Amino acid sequence: MNRVLTVTRMQFVNKYTFVWLPLIILVVSLVLSIAIFALIPYGGAKYGGGSQAPIWYFFGLGIMSLSYTFPFSQALSITRREFFFGTMLAALVTAVLLGAVFAAGGAIERATGGWGVNGYFFSLDWVWTAGPVGAGVFFAVVGMVLFVAGFWGATLYRRFGPLGLTLTLSGVGVLLIVALWLVGRMDAWATVWTWLADLGPMGLTAVLAALTVVLGAASFLTLRRATP
Amino acid sequence: MTVVQVTDLVKRYKNAAALDGVSLTLQENVIYGLLGRNGAGKTTLMSILTAQNFATSGEVSVFGENPYENSRVLGRICFVRESQRYPDDARPVHAFRMAAMFFPHWNQDLADELIDAFQLPMKTRIKKLSRGQLSAVGVIIGLASRAELTFFDEPYLGLDAVARQIFYDRLLADYAEHPRTIVLSSHLIDEVADLIERVIVIDRGRIILDEETDAVRGRASTIIGDAVAVDAFTAGREVLHRESLGRVASATLLGELDTQDRAQLAASGLEVGAVSLQQLIVRLTQHDAESSVAASAAATTPAEGARR
Repeated sequence: MNRVLTVTRMQFVNKYTFVWLPLIILVVSLVLSIAIFALIPYGGAKYGGGSQAPIWYFFGLGIMSLSYTFPFSQALSITRREFFFGTMLAALVTAVLLGAVFAAGGAIERATGGWGVNGYFFSLDWVWTAGPVGAGVFFAVVGMVLFVAGFWGATLYRRFGPLGLTLTLSGVGVLLIVALWLVGRMDAWATVWTWLADLGPMGLTAVLAALTVVLGAASFLTLRRATP
Repeated sequence: MTVVQVTDLVKRYKNAAALDGVSLTLQENVIYGLLGRNGAGKTTLMSILTAQNFATSGEVSVFGENPYENSRVLGRICFVRESQRYPDDARPVHAFRMAAMFFPHWNQDLADELIDAFQLPMKTRIKKLSRGQLSAVGVIIGLASRAELTFFDEPYLGLDAVARQIFYDRLLADYAEHPRTIVLSSHLIDEVADLIERVIVIDRGRIILDEETDAVRGRASTIIGDAVAVDAFTAGREVLHRESLGRVASATLLGELDTQDRAQLAASGLEVGAVSLQQLIVRLTQHDAESSVAASAAATTPAEGARR
Protein backbone atom coordinates (compact mmCIF):
# COMPACT_ATOMS: atom_id res chain seq x y z
CA MET A 1 0.00 0.00 0.00
CA ASN A 2 2.83 2.30 0.97
CA ARG A 3 4.51 1.82 -2.40
CA VAL A 4 1.21 2.52 -4.20
CA LEU A 5 1.10 5.95 -2.53
CA THR A 6 4.76 6.48 -3.42
CA VAL A 7 3.86 5.86 -7.07
CA THR A 8 1.16 8.53 -6.75
CA ARG A 9 3.73 10.96 -5.32
CA MET A 10 6.16 9.96 -8.08
CA GLN A 11 3.65 10.98 -10.76
CA PHE A 12 3.65 14.48 -9.25
CA VAL A 13 7.46 14.82 -9.07
CA ASN A 14 7.45 16.47 -12.46
CA LYS A 15 4.58 18.88 -11.90
CA TYR A 16 4.68 20.00 -15.50
CA THR A 17 2.60 17.09 -16.86
CA PHE A 18 0.07 16.59 -14.10
CA VAL A 19 -0.34 20.13 -12.75
CA TRP A 20 1.01 23.04 -14.79
CA LEU A 21 0.09 21.96 -18.31
CA PRO A 22 -3.61 21.22 -17.54
CA LEU A 23 -3.76 24.48 -15.58
CA ILE A 24 -2.29 26.44 -18.50
CA ILE A 25 -4.76 24.82 -20.91
CA LEU A 26 -7.63 25.68 -18.57
CA VAL A 27 -6.63 29.31 -18.07
CA VAL A 28 -5.88 29.94 -21.76
CA SER A 29 -9.13 28.37 -22.96
CA LEU A 30 -11.07 30.31 -20.29
CA VAL A 31 -9.50 33.65 -21.20
CA LEU A 32 -9.96 33.04 -24.94
CA SER A 33 -13.58 31.98 -24.40
CA ILE A 34 -14.40 35.11 -22.37
CA ALA A 35 -12.75 37.27 -25.02
CA ILE A 36 -14.84 35.61 -27.72
CA PHE A 37 -18.02 35.91 -25.64
CA ALA A 38 -17.31 39.63 -25.26
CA LEU A 39 -16.89 40.02 -29.02
CA ILE A 40 -20.19 38.36 -29.92
CA PRO A 41 -22.88 41.06 -30.33
CA TYR A 42 -25.66 38.99 -28.79
CA GLY A 43 -27.47 39.81 -25.54
CA GLY A 44 -28.59 36.31 -24.52
CA ALA A 45 -26.62 33.65 -22.64
CA LYS A 46 -23.63 32.39 -24.66
CA TYR A 47 -22.08 28.93 -24.36
CA GLY A 48 -18.84 27.68 -25.80
CA GLY A 49 -17.02 24.37 -25.98
CA GLY A 50 -13.75 25.80 -24.66
CA SER A 51 -14.11 24.07 -21.31
CA GLN A 52 -13.71 20.73 -23.08
CA ALA A 53 -10.01 21.44 -23.67
CA PRO A 54 -8.75 20.70 -20.14
CA ILE A 55 -11.08 17.67 -19.91
CA TRP A 56 -9.78 16.18 -23.14
CA TYR A 57 -6.26 16.69 -21.84
CA PHE A 58 -7.00 13.77 -19.51
CA PHE A 59 -7.07 11.48 -22.53
CA GLY A 60 -3.53 12.54 -23.42
CA LEU A 61 -2.54 12.31 -19.78
CA GLY A 62 -3.67 8.68 -19.70
CA ILE A 63 -1.58 7.88 -22.76
CA MET A 64 1.51 9.69 -21.43
CA SER A 65 1.42 8.26 -17.93
CA LEU A 66 1.52 4.76 -19.42
CA SER A 67 3.78 5.05 -22.45
CA TYR A 68 6.46 7.18 -20.78
CA THR A 69 6.24 6.54 -17.08
CA PHE A 70 5.51 2.79 -17.08
CA PRO A 71 8.90 1.82 -18.61
CA PHE A 72 10.70 3.97 -16.07
CA SER A 73 8.62 2.55 -13.22
CA GLN A 74 9.92 -0.88 -14.23
CA ALA A 75 13.50 0.38 -13.90
CA LEU A 76 12.60 1.56 -10.39
CA SER A 77 11.51 -1.99 -9.54
CA ILE A 78 7.85 -1.02 -9.15
CA THR A 79 5.39 -3.88 -9.65
CA ARG A 80 2.73 -3.50 -12.32
CA ARG A 81 0.02 -3.60 -9.66
CA GLU A 82 1.66 -0.77 -7.66
CA PHE A 83 2.13 1.26 -10.83
CA PHE A 84 -1.51 0.80 -11.86
CA PHE A 85 -3.14 1.74 -8.57
CA GLY A 86 -0.67 4.54 -7.81
CA THR A 87 -1.20 6.09 -11.24
CA MET A 88 -5.00 5.77 -11.05
CA LEU A 89 -4.90 7.50 -7.68
CA ALA A 90 -2.78 10.31 -9.16
CA ALA A 91 -5.31 10.71 -11.98
CA LEU A 92 -8.16 10.72 -9.47
CA VAL A 93 -6.50 13.48 -7.44
CA THR A 94 -6.10 15.58 -10.61
CA ALA A 95 -9.65 14.82 -11.74
CA VAL A 96 -11.08 15.84 -8.35
CA LEU A 97 -9.11 19.10 -8.55
CA LEU A 98 -10.50 19.65 -12.04
CA GLY A 99 -14.04 19.01 -10.73
CA ALA A 100 -13.46 21.47 -7.89
CA VAL A 101 -12.20 24.13 -10.30
CA PHE A 102 -15.25 23.59 -12.53
CA ALA A 103 -17.63 23.79 -9.57
CA ALA A 104 -15.99 26.94 -8.21
CA GLY A 105 -15.68 28.45 -11.69
CA GLY A 106 -19.34 27.71 -12.39
CA ALA A 107 -20.37 29.37 -9.15
CA ILE A 108 -18.33 32.49 -9.95
CA GLU A 109 -19.77 32.52 -13.46
CA ARG A 110 -23.34 32.46 -12.17
CA ALA A 111 -22.63 35.08 -9.52
CA THR A 112 -21.02 37.50 -12.01
CA GLY A 113 -23.66 37.09 -14.72
CA GLY A 114 -21.32 35.15 -17.00
CA TRP A 115 -18.13 37.20 -16.33
CA GLY A 116 -20.15 40.35 -17.03
CA VAL A 117 -20.57 39.37 -20.69
CA ASN A 118 -23.26 36.71 -20.20
CA GLY A 119 -20.91 33.98 -21.41
CA TYR A 120 -20.82 30.57 -19.77
CA PHE A 121 -17.65 28.48 -19.78
CA PHE A 122 -18.00 26.12 -16.80
CA SER A 123 -21.70 25.93 -16.06
CA LEU A 124 -23.84 23.99 -18.45
CA ASP A 125 -27.43 24.39 -17.30
CA TRP A 126 -28.21 20.71 -17.66
CA VAL A 127 -25.29 19.66 -15.46
CA TRP A 128 -25.96 22.40 -12.90
CA THR A 129 -29.42 20.97 -12.22
CA ALA A 130 -27.44 18.66 -9.93
CA GLY A 131 -26.03 21.63 -8.00
CA PRO A 132 -22.38 22.74 -7.77
CA VAL A 133 -21.16 19.58 -6.02
CA GLY A 134 -22.96 17.36 -8.52
CA ALA A 135 -21.45 19.37 -11.39
CA GLY A 136 -17.97 19.00 -9.87
CA VAL A 137 -18.40 15.24 -9.52
CA PHE A 138 -19.71 15.03 -13.09
CA PHE A 139 -16.66 16.78 -14.57
CA ALA A 140 -14.25 14.76 -12.40
CA VAL A 141 -15.80 11.51 -13.65
CA VAL A 142 -15.69 12.66 -17.28
CA GLY A 143 -11.98 13.42 -16.79
CA MET A 144 -11.42 9.98 -15.24
CA VAL A 145 -13.18 8.07 -17.99
CA LEU A 146 -11.07 9.84 -20.61
CA PHE A 147 -7.91 9.18 -18.62
CA VAL A 148 -8.65 5.46 -18.33
CA ALA A 149 -9.55 5.24 -22.02
CA GLY A 150 -6.20 6.78 -23.00
CA PHE A 151 -4.38 4.60 -20.47
CA TRP A 152 -5.96 1.41 -21.78
CA GLY A 153 -5.25 2.34 -25.40
CA ALA A 154 -1.59 2.99 -24.58
CA THR A 155 -1.36 -0.28 -22.62
CA LEU A 156 -2.81 -2.24 -25.57
CA TYR A 157 -0.30 -0.54 -27.85
CA ARG A 158 2.60 -1.37 -25.53
CA ARG A 159 1.59 -4.99 -25.17
CA PHE A 160 0.19 -5.93 -28.59
CA GLY A 161 1.61 -3.24 -30.88
CA PRO A 162 -0.29 -1.05 -33.36
CA LEU A 163 -2.09 -4.04 -34.89
CA GLY A 164 -3.37 -5.25 -31.50
CA LEU A 165 -4.63 -1.75 -30.65
CA THR A 166 -6.37 -1.39 -34.02
CA LEU A 167 -8.00 -4.81 -33.76
CA THR A 168 -9.23 -4.14 -30.21
CA LEU A 169 -10.69 -0.75 -31.18
CA SER A 170 -12.30 -2.40 -34.22
CA GLY A 171 -13.75 -5.07 -31.94
CA VAL A 172 -15.20 -2.42 -29.62
CA GLY A 173 -16.65 -0.66 -32.71
CA VAL A 174 -18.26 -3.90 -33.90
CA LEU A 175 -19.77 -4.49 -30.45
CA LEU A 176 -21.27 -0.97 -30.47
CA ILE A 177 -22.79 -1.53 -33.92
CA VAL A 178 -24.22 -4.86 -32.79
CA ALA A 179 -25.75 -3.07 -29.79
CA LEU A 180 -27.27 -0.41 -32.09
CA TRP A 181 -28.62 -3.14 -34.37
CA LEU A 182 -30.12 -5.00 -31.41
CA VAL A 183 -31.86 -1.86 -30.17
CA GLY A 184 -33.30 -1.24 -33.64
CA ARG A 185 -34.28 -4.88 -34.01
CA MET A 186 -36.17 -4.84 -30.73
CA ASP A 187 -37.80 -1.52 -31.71
CA ALA A 188 -36.51 -0.11 -28.44
CA TRP A 189 -35.18 3.29 -29.54
CA ALA A 190 -38.02 5.12 -27.84
CA THR A 191 -37.26 3.30 -24.57
CA VAL A 192 -33.54 4.09 -24.88
CA TRP A 193 -34.15 7.82 -25.45
CA THR A 194 -36.56 8.01 -22.52
CA TRP A 195 -34.03 6.21 -20.33
CA LEU A 196 -31.28 8.67 -21.35
CA ALA A 197 -33.55 11.66 -20.77
CA ASP A 198 -34.56 10.33 -17.35
CA LEU A 199 -30.98 9.60 -16.42
CA GLY A 200 -30.15 13.20 -15.53
CA PRO A 201 -26.60 14.42 -14.79
CA MET A 202 -26.16 12.19 -11.74
CA GLY A 203 -27.42 9.11 -13.56
CA LEU A 204 -25.02 9.82 -16.42
CA THR A 205 -22.22 10.30 -13.86
CA ALA A 206 -22.98 6.86 -12.44
CA VAL A 207 -22.93 5.28 -15.92
CA LEU A 208 -19.59 6.96 -16.72
CA ALA A 209 -18.17 5.88 -13.35
CA ALA A 210 -19.15 2.29 -14.14
CA LEU A 211 -17.51 2.63 -17.55
CA THR A 212 -14.36 3.94 -15.82
CA VAL A 213 -14.25 0.83 -13.63
CA VAL A 214 -14.75 -1.48 -16.63
CA LEU A 215 -12.01 0.24 -18.67
CA GLY A 216 -9.78 0.31 -15.59
CA ALA A 217 -10.20 -3.44 -15.08
CA ALA A 218 -9.40 -4.03 -18.77
CA SER A 219 -6.29 -1.83 -18.42
CA PHE A 220 -5.14 -3.70 -15.34
CA LEU A 221 -5.50 -7.11 -17.01
CA THR A 222 -3.65 -5.83 -20.10
CA LEU A 223 -0.89 -4.29 -17.99
CA ARG A 224 -0.29 -7.49 -16.02
CA ARG A 225 1.70 -8.99 -18.88
CA ALA A 226 2.97 -5.80 -20.56
CA THR A 227 6.71 -5.31 -21.02
CA PRO A 228 8.47 -1.93 -20.88
CA MET B 1 24.51 -17.10 -0.51
CA THR B 2 22.74 -17.70 -3.80
CA VAL B 3 21.03 -14.57 -5.11
CA VAL B 4 19.80 -15.78 -8.48
CA GLN B 5 18.97 -19.29 -9.57
CA VAL B 6 17.93 -19.85 -13.18
CA THR B 7 16.98 -23.27 -14.54
CA ASP B 8 16.47 -24.12 -18.18
CA LEU B 9 15.20 -20.68 -19.16
CA VAL B 10 13.73 -20.38 -22.65
CA LYS B 11 12.45 -17.20 -24.29
CA ARG B 12 11.01 -17.63 -27.74
CA TYR B 13 9.87 -14.78 -29.94
CA LYS B 14 7.77 -15.46 -33.03
CA ASN B 15 10.49 -17.11 -35.07
CA ALA B 16 13.61 -17.12 -32.96
CA ALA B 17 14.75 -18.27 -29.55
CA ALA B 18 16.33 -15.34 -27.68
CA LEU B 19 17.22 -17.65 -24.79
CA ASP B 20 17.65 -21.33 -25.42
CA GLY B 21 17.93 -23.32 -22.21
CA VAL B 22 19.87 -20.99 -19.90
CA SER B 23 20.81 -22.25 -16.45
CA LEU B 24 22.99 -20.26 -14.07
CA THR B 25 23.55 -19.24 -10.50
CA LEU B 26 24.62 -15.82 -9.19
CA GLN B 27 26.21 -15.57 -5.75
CA GLU B 28 26.05 -12.72 -3.24
CA ASN B 29 28.69 -9.95 -3.46
CA VAL B 30 30.33 -10.87 -6.74
CA ILE B 31 30.82 -8.73 -9.86
CA TYR B 32 29.76 -10.71 -12.90
CA GLY B 33 30.51 -9.88 -16.50
CA LEU B 34 27.68 -10.90 -18.78
CA LEU B 35 29.48 -10.90 -22.08
CA GLY B 36 28.27 -11.60 -25.56
CA ARG B 37 27.66 -10.13 -28.95
CA ASN B 38 24.80 -7.83 -29.84
CA GLY B 39 21.61 -9.85 -29.91
CA ALA B 40 23.13 -12.73 -27.94
CA GLY B 41 20.36 -12.50 -25.32
CA LYS B 42 22.00 -10.36 -22.60
CA THR B 43 19.20 -7.82 -22.20
CA THR B 44 16.50 -10.48 -22.52
CA LEU B 45 18.08 -12.50 -19.72
CA MET B 46 18.36 -9.47 -17.41
CA SER B 47 14.79 -8.41 -18.24
CA ILE B 48 13.42 -11.79 -17.23
CA LEU B 49 15.47 -11.88 -14.01
CA THR B 50 13.94 -8.53 -13.04
CA ALA B 51 10.39 -9.54 -14.10
CA GLN B 52 10.34 -6.81 -16.74
CA ASN B 53 9.88 -9.52 -19.36
CA PHE B 54 8.43 -13.03 -19.29
CA ALA B 55 10.01 -16.39 -19.96
CA THR B 56 8.46 -18.88 -22.36
CA SER B 57 9.50 -21.67 -20.01
CA GLY B 58 11.97 -22.36 -17.22
CA GLU B 59 12.38 -21.34 -13.59
CA VAL B 60 13.69 -18.06 -12.15
CA SER B 61 14.29 -17.54 -8.47
CA VAL B 62 15.69 -14.26 -7.14
CA PHE B 63 16.44 -13.99 -3.41
CA GLY B 64 14.66 -17.34 -3.15
CA GLU B 65 11.38 -16.17 -4.69
CA ASN B 66 9.68 -15.61 -8.03
CA PRO B 67 10.30 -11.92 -8.83
CA TYR B 68 7.08 -11.35 -10.83
CA GLU B 69 4.86 -8.74 -9.13
CA ASN B 70 6.88 -9.34 -5.96
CA SER B 71 7.86 -6.05 -4.36
CA ARG B 72 9.80 -7.85 -1.59
CA VAL B 73 12.19 -9.10 -4.27
CA LEU B 74 12.00 -6.21 -6.73
CA GLY B 75 12.75 -3.63 -4.01
CA ARG B 76 16.24 -5.16 -3.75
CA ILE B 77 16.94 -5.01 -7.49
CA CYS B 78 17.95 -2.23 -9.86
CA PHE B 79 17.98 -2.66 -13.63
CA VAL B 80 18.15 0.39 -15.90
CA ARG B 81 18.12 -0.87 -19.45
CA GLU B 82 20.34 0.43 -22.21
CA SER B 83 17.33 1.83 -24.15
CA GLN B 84 15.58 3.03 -20.98
CA ARG B 85 12.58 5.33 -21.49
CA TYR B 86 11.92 8.15 -19.05
CA PRO B 87 8.72 10.08 -18.29
CA ASP B 88 7.94 12.66 -20.96
CA ASP B 89 9.45 16.07 -20.18
CA ALA B 90 11.35 14.68 -17.19
CA ARG B 91 14.75 16.16 -16.43
CA PRO B 92 17.59 14.22 -14.80
CA VAL B 93 16.74 15.88 -11.49
CA HIS B 94 13.23 14.34 -11.67
CA ALA B 95 14.53 10.89 -12.58
CA PHE B 96 16.88 10.91 -9.57
CA ARG B 97 14.17 12.22 -7.25
CA MET B 98 11.89 9.39 -8.37
CA ALA B 99 14.65 6.81 -7.96
CA ALA B 100 15.32 8.10 -4.44
CA MET B 101 11.69 7.32 -3.53
CA PHE B 102 11.92 3.64 -4.41
CA PHE B 103 15.43 2.36 -3.66
CA PRO B 104 15.76 1.81 0.09
CA HIS B 105 19.57 2.22 0.06
CA TRP B 106 19.62 5.23 -2.29
CA ASN B 107 22.58 7.50 -1.54
CA GLN B 108 22.05 11.09 -2.61
CA ASP B 109 25.64 12.15 -1.83
CA LEU B 110 26.96 9.52 -4.19
CA ALA B 111 24.44 10.59 -6.84
CA ASP B 112 25.53 14.24 -6.48
CA GLU B 113 29.21 13.30 -6.75
CA LEU B 114 28.54 11.30 -9.89
CA ILE B 115 26.44 14.08 -11.45
CA ASP B 116 29.47 16.33 -10.95
CA ALA B 117 31.94 13.76 -12.25
CA PHE B 118 29.91 13.08 -15.40
CA GLN B 119 29.11 16.81 -15.80
CA LEU B 120 25.50 15.88 -16.35
CA PRO B 121 23.20 18.85 -17.07
CA MET B 122 20.38 18.57 -14.54
CA LYS B 123 17.98 21.06 -16.12
CA THR B 124 17.96 19.65 -19.64
CA ARG B 125 15.06 17.42 -20.60
CA ILE B 126 16.16 13.80 -20.74
CA LYS B 127 14.90 13.40 -24.29
CA LYS B 128 17.28 16.17 -25.37
CA LEU B 129 20.35 14.55 -23.77
CA SER B 130 23.13 13.04 -25.87
CA ARG B 131 23.61 9.28 -25.94
CA GLY B 132 26.48 9.54 -23.47
CA GLN B 133 24.53 11.75 -21.06
CA LEU B 134 21.62 9.32 -21.27
CA SER B 135 23.95 6.49 -20.32
CA ALA B 136 25.23 8.60 -17.43
CA VAL B 137 21.66 8.95 -16.05
CA GLY B 138 21.34 5.15 -16.03
CA VAL B 139 24.79 4.65 -14.51
CA ILE B 140 24.07 7.14 -11.72
CA ILE B 141 20.76 5.46 -10.87
CA GLY B 142 22.46 2.05 -10.92
CA LEU B 143 25.31 3.09 -8.63
CA ALA B 144 23.44 5.39 -6.23
CA SER B 145 20.60 2.87 -5.76
CA ARG B 146 23.08 0.58 -3.99
CA ALA B 147 20.60 -2.20 -4.69
CA GLU B 148 21.63 -5.64 -3.48
CA LEU B 149 21.39 -6.90 -7.05
CA THR B 150 22.31 -4.30 -9.67
CA PHE B 151 22.35 -4.80 -13.42
CA PHE B 152 24.25 -2.51 -15.78
CA ASP B 153 23.18 -2.96 -19.40
CA GLU B 154 26.02 -1.82 -21.69
CA PRO B 155 26.39 1.27 -19.49
CA TYR B 156 29.27 2.75 -21.51
CA LEU B 157 27.32 3.49 -24.72
CA GLY B 158 28.20 6.98 -25.92
CA LEU B 159 30.43 7.69 -22.91
CA ASP B 160 33.88 9.01 -23.74
CA ALA B 161 37.01 7.31 -22.43
CA VAL B 162 37.25 9.60 -19.41
CA ALA B 163 33.63 9.05 -18.42
CA ARG B 164 33.96 5.29 -18.87
CA GLN B 165 37.00 5.27 -16.56
CA ILE B 166 35.05 7.33 -14.01
CA PHE B 167 32.32 4.70 -14.10
CA TYR B 168 34.72 1.76 -13.67
CA ASP B 169 36.62 3.51 -10.84
CA ARG B 170 33.47 4.57 -9.00
CA LEU B 171 31.94 1.14 -9.39
CA LEU B 172 34.97 -0.56 -7.82
CA ALA B 173 35.34 2.02 -5.06
CA ASP B 174 31.70 1.86 -4.05
CA TYR B 175 31.62 -1.92 -4.36
CA ALA B 176 34.57 -2.16 -1.97
CA GLU B 177 32.67 -0.19 0.66
CA HIS B 178 29.23 -1.59 -0.05
CA PRO B 179 29.58 -5.09 -1.47
CA ARG B 180 26.65 -6.26 -3.55
CA THR B 181 25.93 -8.47 -6.53
CA ILE B 182 26.62 -6.67 -9.78
CA VAL B 183 25.97 -7.89 -13.29
CA LEU B 184 27.73 -5.86 -15.94
CA SER B 185 26.63 -6.63 -19.48
CA SER B 186 29.15 -5.65 -22.09
CA HIS B 187 30.69 -6.40 -25.40
CA LEU B 188 33.77 -4.28 -24.62
CA ILE B 189 35.38 -7.22 -22.90
CA ASP B 190 38.90 -5.96 -22.26
CA GLU B 191 37.60 -2.75 -20.70
CA VAL B 192 35.73 -4.62 -18.00
CA ALA B 193 38.15 -7.56 -17.71
CA ASP B 194 39.87 -6.17 -14.61
CA LEU B 195 36.56 -5.43 -12.93
CA ILE B 196 34.77 -8.70 -13.19
CA GLU B 197 35.37 -11.63 -10.93
CA ARG B 198 33.39 -14.11 -12.92
CA VAL B 199 32.73 -14.32 -16.64
CA ILE B 200 29.47 -15.49 -18.14
CA VAL B 201 29.52 -15.65 -21.93
CA ILE B 202 26.23 -15.90 -23.73
CA ASP B 203 26.06 -16.67 -27.42
CA ARG B 204 22.89 -17.05 -29.43
CA GLY B 205 20.79 -17.62 -26.33
CA ARG B 206 23.09 -20.20 -24.72
CA ILE B 207 25.62 -19.90 -21.93
CA ILE B 208 28.91 -21.06 -23.43
CA LEU B 209 31.21 -20.07 -20.57
CA ASP B 210 30.64 -19.51 -16.86
CA GLU B 211 33.95 -19.37 -14.94
CA GLU B 212 36.22 -17.36 -12.67
CA THR B 213 37.93 -14.64 -14.73
CA ASP B 214 41.40 -15.75 -13.60
CA ALA B 215 40.74 -19.35 -14.52
CA VAL B 216 39.57 -18.29 -17.97
CA ARG B 217 42.73 -16.26 -18.51
CA GLY B 218 44.91 -19.29 -17.81
CA ARG B 219 42.99 -21.43 -20.21
CA ALA B 220 44.71 -20.31 -23.36
CA SER B 221 47.99 -18.91 -24.60
CA THR B 222 49.49 -17.74 -27.85
CA ILE B 223 52.57 -19.41 -29.31
CA ILE B 224 54.62 -17.27 -31.69
CA GLY B 225 57.64 -18.19 -33.81
CA ASP B 226 58.85 -20.15 -36.81
CA ALA B 227 55.84 -21.62 -38.64
CA VAL B 228 57.28 -25.14 -38.80
CA ALA B 229 58.14 -25.17 -35.10
CA VAL B 230 54.70 -23.77 -34.20
CA ASP B 231 52.97 -26.48 -36.22
CA ALA B 232 55.16 -29.15 -34.64
CA PHE B 233 54.26 -27.95 -31.15
CA THR B 234 50.56 -27.50 -31.79
CA ALA B 235 50.09 -30.88 -33.46
CA GLY B 236 47.53 -32.83 -31.46
CA ARG B 237 46.52 -29.81 -29.38
CA GLU B 238 43.33 -27.78 -29.62
CA VAL B 239 44.07 -24.70 -31.70
CA LEU B 240 41.54 -21.90 -31.44
CA HIS B 241 43.12 -19.69 -34.04
CA ARG B 242 46.18 -19.64 -36.29
CA GLU B 243 47.71 -16.78 -38.21
CA SER B 244 50.87 -16.65 -40.26
CA LEU B 245 52.88 -13.96 -41.95
CA GLY B 246 55.68 -15.33 -44.12
CA ARG B 247 57.56 -17.86 -42.04
CA VAL B 248 56.27 -16.60 -38.71
CA ALA B 249 53.12 -18.07 -37.28
CA SER B 250 51.08 -17.50 -34.16
CA ALA B 251 48.63 -19.99 -32.77
CA THR B 252 46.16 -19.60 -29.91
CA LEU B 253 46.04 -22.81 -27.93
CA LEU B 254 43.38 -23.96 -25.55
CA GLY B 255 44.60 -25.65 -22.39
CA GLU B 256 47.17 -24.80 -19.74
CA LEU B 257 50.87 -25.20 -20.44
CA ASP B 258 52.83 -27.38 -18.01
CA THR B 259 56.57 -27.14 -17.22
CA GLN B 260 57.42 -29.77 -19.82
CA ASP B 261 55.56 -27.76 -22.48
CA ARG B 262 57.41 -24.62 -21.49
CA ALA B 263 60.77 -26.37 -21.68
CA GLN B 264 59.89 -27.68 -25.15
CA LEU B 265 58.82 -24.20 -26.24
CA ALA B 266 62.07 -22.68 -25.03
CA ALA B 267 64.07 -25.38 -26.80
CA SER B 268 62.34 -24.73 -30.13
CA GLY B 269 62.75 -20.97 -29.78
CA LEU B 270 59.03 -20.24 -29.56
CA GLU B 271 57.61 -17.37 -27.57
CA VAL B 272 54.55 -17.56 -25.33
CA GLY B 273 52.18 -14.62 -25.19
CA ALA B 274 49.20 -14.05 -22.95
CA VAL B 275 45.76 -14.09 -24.47
CA SER B 276 43.52 -11.24 -23.47
CA LEU B 277 40.08 -12.11 -22.18
CA GLN B 278 38.58 -10.44 -25.22
CA GLN B 279 40.70 -12.43 -27.67
CA LEU B 280 39.90 -15.66 -25.91
CA ILE B 281 36.18 -15.03 -25.86
CA VAL B 282 36.16 -13.88 -29.47
CA ARG B 283 38.03 -17.04 -30.42
CA LEU B 284 35.74 -19.21 -28.32
CA THR B 285 32.58 -17.75 -29.79
CA GLN B 286 34.00 -17.92 -33.32
CA HIS B 287 35.08 -21.48 -32.69
CA ASP B 288 31.67 -22.32 -31.34
CA ALA B 289 29.94 -20.75 -34.32
CA GLU B 290 32.20 -22.49 -36.84
CA SER B 291 31.98 -25.91 -35.26
CA SER B 292 28.21 -25.70 -34.92
CA VAL B 293 27.98 -24.64 -38.57
CA ALA B 294 30.19 -27.56 -39.58
CA ALA B 295 28.24 -29.95 -37.39
CA SER B 296 24.84 -28.98 -38.68
CA ALA B 297 26.18 -29.01 -42.25
CA ALA B 298 23.53 -26.44 -42.96
CA ALA B 299 24.08 -24.16 -45.91
CA THR B 300 25.16 -20.74 -44.68
CA THR B 301 24.73 -17.68 -46.83
CA PRO B 302 27.97 -15.86 -47.66
CA ALA B 303 26.80 -12.78 -45.78
CA GLU B 304 26.25 -14.77 -42.61
CA GLY B 305 29.59 -16.48 -42.97
CA ALA B 306 31.33 -13.15 -43.37
CA ARG B 307 29.67 -11.77 -40.28
CA ARG B 308 31.05 -14.60 -38.22
